[in-house]
Amino acid sequence: MSRIQKHRLIATLLVHNGDVVQTRRFKPTNNVGSAFTAVDFFNTWTVDEIFVLEISKVDTYLARFEEIVEGLSRRCFVPLTVGGKIRDVERVRTYTRAGADKISLNTAALVRPALIAEIADQFGSQCVVVSIDARRNADMPSGYEAVGDRGKAPSGRDARAWALEAVQLGAGEILLNEVEHDGDKRGYDLDLVRMISDAVSVPVVAMGGVAKWDDLVDGVRQGHAHAVAAGNIFHYTEHSTKKAKEFMAAAGLPVRGATFYKVAMPRRPSYRPF
Amino acid sequence: MSAPRVAVVDYGLANIRSVVNALNCFEADITIAENGSALADASLIVLPGVGSFDAGMRGLNERGHVEALQRRVIEAGVPYLGICLGMQFLFDGSAEGSAAGLGWVKGRIERFPSGADQPKVPHVGWNEVEIAPSSNLMSAMVSPADFYFVHSYYAPLAHTDAIASGICDYGARFCAALERDNIAAVQFHPEKSQLGGMKLLETFLQVTA
Repeated sequence: MSRIQKHRLIATLLVHNGDVVQTRRFKPTNNVGSAFTAVDFFNTWTVDEIFVLEISKVDTYLARFEEIVEGLSRRCFVPLTVGGKIRDVERVRTYTRAGADKISLNTAALVRPALIAEIADQFGSQCVVVSIDARRNADMPSGYEAVGDRGKAPSGRDARAWALEAVQLGAGEILLNEVEHDGDKRGYDLDLVRMISDAVSVPVVAMGGVAKWDDLVDGVRQGHAHAVAAGNIFHYTEHSTKKAKEFMAAAGLPVRGATFYKVAMPRRPSYRPF
Repeated sequence: MSAPRVAVVDYGLANIRSVVNALNCFEADITIAENGSALADASLIVLPGVGSFDAGMRGLNERGHVEALQRRVIEAGVPYLGICLGMQFLFDGSAEGSAAGLGWVKGRIERFPSGADQPKVPHVGWNEVEIAPSSNLMSAMVSPADFYFVHSYYAPLAHTDAIASGICDYGARFCAALERDNIAAVQFHPEKSQLGGMKLLETFLQVTA
């Protein structure tokens, strides 16, 4: 049989009104756009993937966001997942043209689940990440409700049932966040992560709330997540993704080797302040 | 040494942007070859590809790439790097369709078996590649090396026994990289495989015919 798939470390970048921000409970707290260069996010080369999500309230900043995606794709040579304001296949095409390898959709899929299948048909399931924002709700069979519109709009859908339906429709991966845990520095909601990871047949990416490297390991060990994502924590810690990766490896998790190869890239685009 | 003139073969279907972005980081003169005549003065040829085998071969034929590749790579010995579908095109054909491939390597591309006891198809994600001591392309790398894969079809080792330079295991062992004379091809995506992938591209750009 196949060997065990390696657990991925994913860096999440949230873009609000054209700036990179940190969030807490889905509300932008501070702008880290200027800290961009200090962040080794993109040049320690240890992160396995990058997710970049547009979280503005309005569509006004989408053109700027596309430029950001394009800029990232020119200097980040790992798979790039792009999400935000995806309501039709055309937007998926725009993002893939700008350099996205995968797209992540959330609210529009809750409103019209068939969109998942439409995108999967044209781009393949490997391209479709369905992002689920869940919130504890004792009235739901699984104890969690999927919420849309950046955590604000209750969908009436049970989070576990929605995850299963999304996979059925063609989601290749689930990105899972719990609204109260987002930016709250108490680790992932491990009950939620475990429940969804055990239920679906596709990889689950845990996101939201990472405050220490142990949280990443817990996401995999206790939450059974296939991949672990974090955003805020990476912004102000030097060599953060490298440290996170080393911590995961030291804890005994199978992760991608971080062999450093010296590669001269004289024409690699330099940082462009967005 | 002057910068290599690299032609990236465009057959209208595949998103070649990531490959071009990656190559653009190096001292190289990159041309996007929209038809076969654009391969004429290339010192290196890269054929990336994501998509289906038949549609890809049709695109290559319609744009005169098949003839041009034959002339430049096989007859003139210009170094070639095939990526993903650009590896699969080298074979006689593929289980994915009925089109004839370039036929430079004997045998057919096969599909990963599906079933409850089989790993999921497509094979997406990072996986280890065992590098053969004979590899030039990956000679600077530590084996096994991690590369990023996205595919449902693969080159069986039975057809590539003598030329496989990288082997990956996904339920079964398959040919992840091959090297024969001036022809090299990889099933994984070096342009998405971070420093390891960039090292491979850097190595290829230093190859001279």
